[in-house]
Amino acid sequence: MPEAPRSGVIHDLGYRRYDGPRDGTATIARTLFVTGLRHAYGLGRSGRSKVMPFLLLGMSLLPAAVVVGFVVLTGLRSLPVSYAAYTNQTQLLVSLFAASQAPVLFSRDLRHRSIVLYLARPLPATVFALVRWASLAVAMWLFTALPTVLLYLGAMLAGLDKSDQTTDALKALVLQAGLAALIAGVTGLISSVSLRRGFAVVGSVMALIVLSGVVTAVQNIASAEGEDPASVGVGLVSPWSLHNGLANAWGAGLDTPAPVDGAWVPAYVLVALLLIGGCLLGLVARFRKVGTR
Amino acid sequence: MNATIAKLALQALLGRRRFFLLLAFPVLLVGLVALVTALTDGEAAFELLPGLGYPLVLPLVAILAASSVLGPEVDDGSIVYLLAKPVNRYAVAFSKWLVALAATLAAGSLPILLAALLTGDAGRAWALFVGAVVAGTAYSALFLAISAVTRHAVIASLMFVLIWESLLGNLFTGIAWLSIGQWGLRVGHELSDQLPDPASLPWAIGASLVVTVVGVWFAGDRLRSFTLRGED
Amino acid sequence: MSTLVLDSASRWFGNVVAVNDVSLTIGPGVTGLLGPNGAGKTTLLAMMSGFLAPSSGHVTLDGRPVWRNTEIYRRIGLVPERELSFGYLTGRQFVRANADLHRLPDAAAATERILGVVDMVEPAGRRLDTYSKGMRQRVKIAAALVHDPSVLLLDEPFNGVDPRQRMHLMDLLRRLGDEGRTVLFSSHILEEVERLARHIEVVVSGRHAASGDFGAIRQLMTDRPVQYAVQSSDNRTLAALLMEQVSVRAVALRGDHLDVQVDDLGSFAVGLPELARRHDLTIFELSPSDESLESVFAYLVAR
Repeated sequence: MPEAPRSGVIHDLGYRRYDGPRDGTATIARTLFVTGLRHAYGLGRSGRSKVMPFLLLGMSLLPAAVVVGFVVLTGLRSLPVSYAAYTNQTQLLVSLFAASQAPVLFSRDLRHRSIVLYLARPLPATVFALVRWASLAVAMWLFTALPTVLLYLGAMLAGLDKSDQTTDALKALVLQAGLAALIAGVTGLISSVSLRRGFAVVGSVMALIVLSGVVTAVQNIASAEGEDPASVGVGLVSPWSLHNGLANAWGAGLDTPAPVDGAWVPAYVLVALLLIGGCLLGLVARFRKVGTR
Repeated sequence: MNATIAKLALQALLGRRRFFLLLAFPVLLVGLVALVTALTDGEAAFELLPGLGYPLVLPLVAILAASSVLGPEVDDGSIVYLLAKPVNRYAVAFSKWLVALAATLAAGSLPILLAALLTGDAGRAWALFVGAVVAGTAYSALFLAISAVTRHAVIASLMFVLIWESLLGNLFTGIAWLSIGQWGLRVGHELSDQLPDPASLPWAIGASLVVTVVGVWFAGDRLRSFTLRGED
Repeated sequence: MSTLVLDSASRWFGNVVAVNDVSLTIGPGVTGLLGPNGAGKTTLLAMMSGFLAPSSGHVTLDGRPVWRNTEIYRRIGLVPERELSFGYLTGRQFVRANADLHRLPDAAAATERILGVVDMVEPAGRRLDTYSKGMRQRVKIAAALVHDPSVLLLDEPFNGVDPRQRMHLMDLLRRLGDEGRTVLFSSHILEEVERLARHIEVVVSGRHAASGDFGAIRQLMTDRPVQYAVQSSDNRTLAALLMEQVSVRAVALRGDHLDVQVDDLGSFAVGLPELARRHDLTIFELSPSDESLESVFAYLVAR
């Protein structure tokens, strides 16, 4: 009599397989973008991380509120400061916001090596870098656009000319979008290379505030010497002078030491685009390198 | 003063990339002033110093130096290795401050002197240098104290310099009484009339002294109460 | 010879109580500070090493308070859990800096001696950031021992150290304890503590749960049945006999031995030889099977 074949089975009680539909890269990217945007303002993080962004935002909104009150009460026929000029005058606050928040989005994942967790998901390093940049750029844009919107609402309340104000405000918003893209690229690149927060912040301050101070000083000297082309040419070097030069060329109500016109305008646009592109390439290369390790 | 602490702080400061970041400031400043002097004249170039070198480069160098000697160690808690020793806490703070001060003077005040000498007028240059030494001394002590208190020392220090001293200082002249940079300029004013006269001399000297002494003392006091926490 | 005393010490952070009214005395020899993660071990060690003020109560070393008393570091060596961030120094430079900070008369000789003790002479010329975890741990211990302290406090010294290095570290700590030093180390891993220290202090959620020899602690927990493993010439017969005993709760045949659960441990152990002789059985082995620290710990944590 043949022996009954011995059989056995080990039941798979481990991970359940998931065969349902999956969200694609687009959904992951969108979630990552929204999270990054919230994190730039400290939302969804500890209470202490909210202090710095909102303190800076409050400080950049306060003068706008004062201006609005002034215009409404005194019945001025125009805003004492143009939308684009207001952004330029708060450049310390805008730059500090970028310098302090860029490490949040670009340094922490690299320093704590949590980047590998992101990249273990079906999310290419390139997309990660670009989405991070987009989060910071939109955060920066909101930071500069909010005072503009406040000023615009004030101007409407005071009954200023609607079409003029709308044109100027829209110009300012477009310029701010370019500025945000530039600043996010520069500070993001610095923060992804220098992982210690303190040094990333000092590096960003150098690239934005110190460089802008140098450029403005040299521009003033050059135009005082009657060397207008030199003055305009130097403006190609820093994000802030690019923004100001383009605002001047577009008639957004911002004075530069020497007027930006003629062939300089496409040159400014081209340099700004190249700078953004260069920063993005740098970011992508950086995150690809970390992603493969 | 503790030679070992100072030596370690110096090694932390000179180690690796920080040194190059610290070196970039004086090179940038002197190079720019030399360039402008060569292209135009000394008067135009000198404007860079009160406009850029003194109010921006000097405090940034001080921030970088003060936060390098203390910041990272407090940030990651490894300062406990230096503090688990029978060493007076005020001596630790003082030694670290000396290193930060030396770096601030070498990479902040000295380049200002060199750049100012390049523009001609030696009297004005030395006056600005004296101002930069006074301000650099007080800055380094203040930023050391801030580094001992908060992990966000760099940002907090930057806000003091950029928002309080620069932004608000330009709007409200009264802030000169509470601005380290202006105290230094006031002391320098005694040597050369070309520097502004924002506050009274005894106040400027007294306030700089108080900030320096209290800053270093406070940093030492914070170290005395240094608390070891678990990993975050 | 030094003694570290906590006298009803408590520490709270805001409304979170990290250490709750702990009194303990730590004398010469190796003591294990045992507790699950987040039990307050690091807080306790921070208080003992003068890096945290007790919110109430006292922490003293040989009668003198440790908080804000830098002189205690002449007698205390501290090995924090923190990683070294002095990556730009070599191991020798780091230990030497520690010796210099203690103002040792012959710092160079002391450095070489202690590097020899932790067996780190050969890699001492390399930078710290090239070290493996176990090497860094040994350099940290060398730095803490360079001034020949009578008290050594170590926070989770075996975390992330591979088994061979762990054995090495344990031998070192055992030797230091045998020399009459007061060695206290914290751990959440029972096996480590069990192998190194007979004397344990157990903390559970900030409270001092137990203290003393862990075998003795086990004996005190009489309201929980005790496990014995018994091996005899006829396990089945013995099992049947044992079930008649009042104190026996359960008997199980396990391969070549019996697992016996007993309520009243005194009378069972005393009565067993007599029972075996009456029925002509030979007992080969009788051993308490759960006097491991794990069962002690599980008991204390669950209570």
